Order: sequence, then structure tokens, then C-alpha cells
Amino acid sequence: MKTTSKWILEALLVLFALLFLSPIYIMLVNSFKTRSELYENALALPSSITFEYYSEAMDKMNFLTAFGNSLFVTLVSLVFIVVLAAMTAWMLVRTDNKLSQIIFMVLVSTMLIPFQTLMMPLMQVMGWIGDTLRIPMLNTHGGLIFMNIGFHASMAVFLYHGFIKSVPVALEEAATLDGCTKFGVFWRIVFPMLKTITITIAILDVIMMWNDYLLPSLTLSDKSLRTIPLSTFYFFGEFTIVWNLAMAGLTLSIIPVVIFYFVAQKHIIKGVAEGAVK
Amino acid sequence: MTKVKRFISIASSAVLLVTMLSACGSGNTDNGTESTDGEASAKLPKISLFQSKVEIADQLETMTEKYKEETGNEIDVWGSAGDNYLTQLQAKLNAGEGPTIFGVQTGAETEKFKSYYYDMSNESYAKNIAPNMEVKIDGKLVGVPTGVEGFGLVYNKKLVDPAKITDLASFRTFLQDMKAKDINGFSLSQEAYFLIGHIINTPFALQQDPVQFVEQLNKGEVKMADTKEFKEFAEYMEAIRELASNPLETTYDSQMGDFATGKTAIVHQGNWSYGMLADYDDIEVGMMPFPLSGNQKLAVDIPAIWVINNKANAEEIKAANAFFEWLYNSESGKNIIVNEFKFIPAMTNIETSSLDPLSQAVSEATNSGNTIPWALTYFPQGIIVNDLAPVTQQFFLTPSMTGEQYLQKLDEVWAKAPK
Amino acid sequence: MKAIKNRGWYALFTLPLLLIFSTVVLIPFAIGIWYSFISWDGIPANPKVFVGFDNYVQIFQDDRFLKSAWLTIKFTFFALIIVNVLGLALSLLVTSKLRTSNLARTLFFMPNLIGGLILGYIWKFIFTDVFKYVGQNAGIDNVFFNWLLNPEYALYAIVVVFAWQMAGYTMIIYIAGIQGIPDDLMEAAKVDGANAWHKLTKIVFPLLMPSFTICLFLTLSGAFKIFDVNLSLTGGGPINSTEMFAMNIFNEIFGYSRYGIGQAKAIIFFVLVAAVTLVQVYITKKKEVQM
Repeated sequence: MKTTSKWILEALLVLFALLFLSPIYIMLVNSFKTRSELYENALALPSSITFEYYSEAMDKMNFLTAFGNSLFVTLVSLVFIVVLAAMTAWMLVRTDNKLSQIIFMVLVSTMLIPFQTLMMPLMQVMGWIGDTLRIPMLNTHGGLIFMNIGFHASMAVFLYHGFIKSVPVALEEAATLDGCTKFGVFWRIVFPMLKTITITIAILDVIMMWNDYLLPSLTLSDKSLRTIPLSTFYFFGEFTIVWNLAMAGLTLSIIPVVIFYFVAQKHIIKGVAEGAVK
Repeated sequence: MTKVKRFISIASSAVLLVTMLSACGSGNTDNGTESTDGEASAKLPKISLFQSKVEIADQLETMTEKYKEETGNEIDVWGSAGDNYLTQLQAKLNAGEGPTIFGVQTGAETEKFKSYYYDMSNESYAKNIAPNMEVKIDGKLVGVPTGVEGFGLVYNKKLVDPAKITDLASFRTFLQDMKAKDINGFSLSQEAYFLIGHIINTPFALQQDPVQFVEQLNKGEVKMADTKEFKEFAEYMEAIRELASNPLETTYDSQMGDFATGKTAIVHQGNWSYGMLADYDDIEVGMMPFPLSGNQKLAVDIPAIWVINNKANAEEIKAANAFFEWLYNSESGKNIIVNEFKFIPAMTNIETSSLDPLSQAVSEATNSGNTIPWALTYFPQGIIVNDLAPVTQQFFLTPSMTGEQYLQKLDEVWAKAPK
Repeated sequence: MKAIKNRGWYALFTLPLLLIFSTVVLIPFAIGIWYSFISWDGIPANPKVFVGFDNYVQIFQDDRFLKSAWLTIKFTFFALIIVNVLGLALSLLVTSKLRTSNLARTLFFMPNLIGGLILGYIWKFIFTDVFKYVGQNAGIDNVFFNWLLNPEYALYAIVVVFAWQMAGYTMIIYIAGIQGIPDDLMEAAKVDGANAWHKLTKIVFPLLMPSFTICLFLTLSGAFKIFDVNLSLTGGGPINSTEMFAMNIFNEIFGYSRYGIGQAKAIIFFVLVAAVTLVQVYITKKKEVQM
């Protein structure tokens, strides 16, 4: 009885998952088709599998450079976001006063501002920093990383804020009595216990930053600095898309994130298992 | 290499920061600023070029290589996906990081960015701009035309005899004939410009003074519903709704696919659409005027101009001028315009040779003066996408809406739209 | 003495982030508020004229904006429910000890890897080709037709795509929450003879409160701000029936070049949305259990 229902559940799950993948299917099959083939039937399997569009897309996108740029920007931003947000969130949770509440609310509410309304003033501020303080924010990876931190920090703080509550205060107090400074407490006790949510944040942020088009398109101009989404612009005209190249480029650009996700999610499970053993 | 170095420096400063803080000290972040490259002496400074036509992005790269090879000067071509161009341009100008050379569409868009134009009146490359193709603001020549483009009824020569479609009645007959053969006679597509922007240009362009007509319309002094050409235009639209396939179900991609495979006889398109036929079997195509009110002319105009940013420094402006000099006056430059960009030049000193059939038609019309202007470039900003297209969607989705009601509705949204 | 030291620590932990955040978000937002009182076309070299509250007055006469605000609320309501029900269901499924859960977990998350713009273009194929095909061949064309052409259904088409994308996203956060529930608690419940439903409502849901807070908020803010999918799937059509808030602002700023009015719209909507969501966060935060 129990096993049959389990099997049904299992089958349902897989079926549903496959249904979920239908757009991925469209992406894949159309990366092998010519315009006329796509026009004939966007859903059919391609008549032949040729990787010519993949190599053409890689070539046009300058894939390796773009990949390196994306990797650099995403990883460095991520490290800063995680470190700074975890520290901030912990302080905000543990110091429960008006100021903390206000800071938290400000951080959270700004997540509701549509980016479109921030971008002009943002560019003015960044231009000003470049002109007046002589720190080049535009057309540099450093500047983009800086902005990434600013835009993604609030969500990370928000996520940490919710999960830090599950870290027992007693542990921290014990560590403090042992002579640890706040910093010691945070890095030795608190941060390791936040592993699951840290990885979750990493997954979410990596995807957002990896796929982001708008912000990099405003800040980076030089060809050599382009991230992956920026370098796919060749395939997107005003009225039409070069489908085969665009889909091939897209497939290439999401492979690294799929791998990252696959590895990262294993750690989520492992992290919890370890915690349970202790 | 520099990237690796940068990565190491940033990563290590991050690590340093963390360890410093872990040790319970206090730390200051200090972003290391990069040193700029030393300036080369004789060479002109590197300039940047920003434009919206994704179709020539590759060719522009080829061009910069050639330019560097011949003159030693460098150009950085910035990229943008088609519909993101204006956002990016505006953002970069706001940051004070505008490109040296950039493209703007003629008409309202040219007006919008006018405080940025360098006056080209005295530059030698500007001397060869064809008569009537000069874009001037306050008497100053503000840009060089990228080329000319034209649109009209693009037809399949096997299915259509242009001599037989001369007025509304024959247009209807044609649609009916085609329908009987299970062929779609005429196709618009769902993109705002291809749905309404281009086709509504004809009644505007047929007015005595199209620009003045647009202004009067803005002020509410005239109405489309009271104007003869528009009334006939509405009847054409009724015929299209009744006898041709629904444009809202058609994308530019499927429109051209249907056309290339003979399922559609006529599309309302421009010479740019020829590139969409490349992947299909050969098809013989031609371009004829939209025969509204006896119109016998194609709509041909300059779609865009290239301007030099007057906020760039003197050296950069000098470099930009040198580049245009090369592009429009040297043999290799001219060759690139015609054979790489495949533009129909708006310059008197550039010969065209092997144009595709649609561009050929446009070029012939230009040479014989048989053209009507693109009045649509003088429409208030954003009105085609935000106001005219939704009304037209309503027209095609509501079979009970008459042509007259359609015009009234267009008048109504036009009056309301910001100018 | 200790208070000062604590304040020092507080500053040390929070200031770096707040500094960056202020430069990137707060200051631009403040400038944006200032622009909402100004008539300007967004081109830096062109004149900016102070007009006081004129922009705000104009907004309330703009039926289209009011309509788009209502649409956004409607959209958000449906999106919120579907995304969270689906996300929660998926997370419970893939954390139950099924053979395929690991694989399923990846598959459900895949939609997120495609950015919003391209996602919209791909779904356009599904609505125009697949729906039509299914409708014609299975004879259920009252459900399966091209939703994008119907002013009533086009909005739900966006809901579907948004849910399809966000469900995997919230799933991840729910998973993180579920994994955080101590096993001994569940064991104890089992020993006490609690059935699955009891375990769910009495143990899992209360302990998932932080995840609920987060997911509800993220869906809310994501739905309110939706732009990419809106643009690529429907472009606001047909007949403006799906022009949602962010798109309306975008059209105002970049279509009509009325920067000040666009900013004023943004401010108004921000105040409204912030009020709603902060109440939501406040309520759900209160229900969170401290360990």
C-alpha cells in the first residue's frame, strides 16, 4: 500500500518536473535550427544536430573573455555580499533597538523600488564619484561589483535576518564568556551555523547577477569588459532575434550556473546532515 | 593577465579585511585605484561609437579593424540590444560618460538630444550629403545620415502584379482572389511599427505639409477623422481586417517566414526585411507604393543620423571628424558603407553597385525623386508604441469597430498623448 | 564604557554595508524623489524646471496609470498565491525521501536560470504555437488558445510564466527552512502518533514562519516590480490590458520622455507598496518562533 502510493508520487514528481522543463526544451531544440526550420515548427526536433551555431555564438560572444568577466564579477560580488550582509543582519537581530528596526525596515522597503526609477540618479551619482573623488565607478568591474553589493545586500540581509533567529543565543553567550570578541563569536560560532542559508543566498544571488543585463549594460562600455549577457546583444535586434545563435548562447551561458547549483545544493543537504550528527 | 591580477588584488584585500577584523582590530577599506595607461603621442585619441542597429554590429567591428590598419587610430564600438539603446545612451550621458559618436533617429529623437550635437557645417565630408538629406537644427548641420531606407508593399513577384493594385477597390479584389486560393493577401505584424507606425505614415505623408499637419494635429486643429486620406486609410484597414490574416497573430519572424514560403503575397515592410529571407529558398521580390489615394511613391527617408558629441573634448572631436572623413571620403570607407553595412548611401560621392532587389527599388525611387517622407519621425515621442498600437490592436480584435470609430479613437488618444 | 564598545562593534558590523547601500540605493532614491518635483525630459543638458506638486496632480488624472496600478495589484494577488502554494508544495515533495527528489530539485529550479526577457520570448512560442496546437487537436480550444491575444487572459499568461519562474525560487528558500527543522522534533511527533497533516500544521508550518516571511515578501516585491516578462511576453498589450506598473513608468520615462512624472509615479507606488508589504513583514515576523 505504502510503496504503491510512493511510486505514484514519484512518477508524478518526475512528470511534473519534465513539464516544468518544456521551455528549456524549446531553448535547446531551437539552438540547432535555421530561421526557416524554426519558422516551420518551433517545437519539432531539429533535422540535424550541428554545433555550428554554438561555435559561431561562442566566437561572436567572445565567450571565454565574457565568461571570465562574468565569473570575476559574480564571485567577488558574492563574497562581499555574503560577508557584509551576514555581519549586518546578525548585529541587527542581536541588538534589538529602534535603530536596528529602522535600518532593517529601510533595507527591506528599498527592495520594492523598481530599478528603472533608480538608474538615472544612480548613473549621476556614479559619474560624480568618478569626476570628484577620482574613483572610477563606471566602465570598471570594480564599480559594477560595488553596485551589485548595494543592490543585492538588502535581500541577503533580509534572508539572514530570518534565519539568524534559529541560532541559539546561549551558544553565543557561552563563547563570549570564554573570552571571544564579537568578531570571534560571529565567525567561529554564528557564521558556520548559517551554512544552509548562506548557500541558498549564494545560489539566488549568483543567478541574479550572472543573468543581469540592465545594470552591466549601463555601467560597462568597453568590449573587453562585457559579461556574458552583454555579449549576447548581437543576437537581439529591435524586431527580431537570431534564434539559433541566441539560444545556443543562452545554453552555453546557463551551463556554468547549472553546475554551480548542482554542487551547491548538495552542500545544503550535507550541511544539515552534519548538524544533525552533532 | 590584468584580470587575474585584479582578481588577486581584490580577493586578497577582501581576505585581508576579514582577517583584520577577525583579529578584532579596526580596518579601513581602501579600493586600490588603477593607473591609467600612458598616452601615445602622435596618434589621435581612442573614440567611442554607439549605435542601435544590431544588424551591423559585426560589420562595425570589421570596420574598426580596417580603420586601425589604415590610420593607426582606434574606435571602440559599444554594443546594445536593439530596444535597450536609448536607455543606455541616456544613462551614459547622465553619468557624463557619453560616447564620442552616436546615432539618433531622425525627427523627434534628433530634437530630443539636440544639445549634444557638434556643428558639422564646415566639415568636408558633409559637403557630399545629397540634397534634401541634410538634417539641420537652427541652420546648423548636426549629423551625417547613415543612409536611406524605404518601405512600402513588399510583394512576391510570382503572386502579385503591381499594375493591378492601384486603388482600394482593386486592393480588395486582390485580397479576395488570394483568399480564394488560400493565400494570405496582405500582412502586417504585431510589432508596433509594423502594425501601425509605418502604414499610417502614408496618409500623413500625402498631406500638403506633413510636418505642419502633425503640429496641427497636436494642437487639435485638425482631425484624422475629417481628413480624406485617413478616411480611405481606415477603409484599407477594414479590408485588411476582413480579408487578410490577423496581424496580432503574426510576428515579424512568422510574417517573413510566411512571405518567403509563398503563404503570404504582400507584406508591408521595408528594404531591411530582405535580410530575413536569407535562410529560405530564393524568392523574387519587389517593392511597390501603398496605393492610398492614388499614391505612387515609396516612403523613403533617412532613418537615422550619426552625430558627434559636443561634450567630448577637442581632441576626441578632432578624431571623430577624422573618422568620418575616412568613412565617407576614402575608398575603403565607402566600400564598407556599401558592401559591408549594405546601406543605401545618402551621399552624392558614393556609388552603389550590387544592391538587393528591395534596396534597389528604394535607391531608384530616391534617384528619381519619387518618394514621400517619413512623417512618422515627427510624431510625438512614444506615441506609436504607447497609443496608436493599442488602439490598432483593439481595432483588429473587435470586428464590430468601424473604420470611422477607429479614426475617432486614434484622434482621441492623439489628443491625450503627451507632446 | 561597555556601551561605547558595543556601539563600536555595532558600527563596525553594519557600516560597511550601509555605506555601500546608501551610495547605490538611498542617495539615488533621494535624488529620484527630488526629480519627482521637476519637469524634465531625462537629458542632462536639457533644462530642469521646478514644478512643485504638478507632477503628482497630473498622475491622479492619468486613468491609464490608475488602471495599470490596479492591474499590478490583481497580478500580484494571483502570483502571490500560486507561487507560494506551488513553491511550498514542491519543497515538501523534494524534501520527502523520494528516490528522484534530488533530480527533481534541480529540474524545478532550472527555469530560474533563464533570464526574464528571454523567458518571455520562449513562452511566447508556447502560448502561440503549443496552446493553439493542443486546442485544435484535443478539441479543448476554450482553454487552449492564444492567451496573449485576449485582453482577459493575457494577464493570466504573465501570471503563469511568473509562477513558473518564481516557484523554483521560493522552493529553494522553503527547502532551506525545512532543512532547518530539527529531526528530533519530527521523530518525537511520530512517536506521539501525529499524522502527516498534524505534523505539517503543528510543527512544520510554525517553524517555517521565517521562510514564509521571506517568500511572501520576495514574491510581493518581484510581482510588483515585474518588467522583463511583461515586456517580452505581451509588451503591455493587447490594448494595454497588461501594462503593469514598472512598464507604465518605463514608458513614461523613456517613451514619452517625461522623467519627472515617471518619478512621481514611482514614488506614489513605492509608498503604497511599502505600506502593504511592511505590514505583511511585520505580521509574519511576529509569528516567527525564536529558538
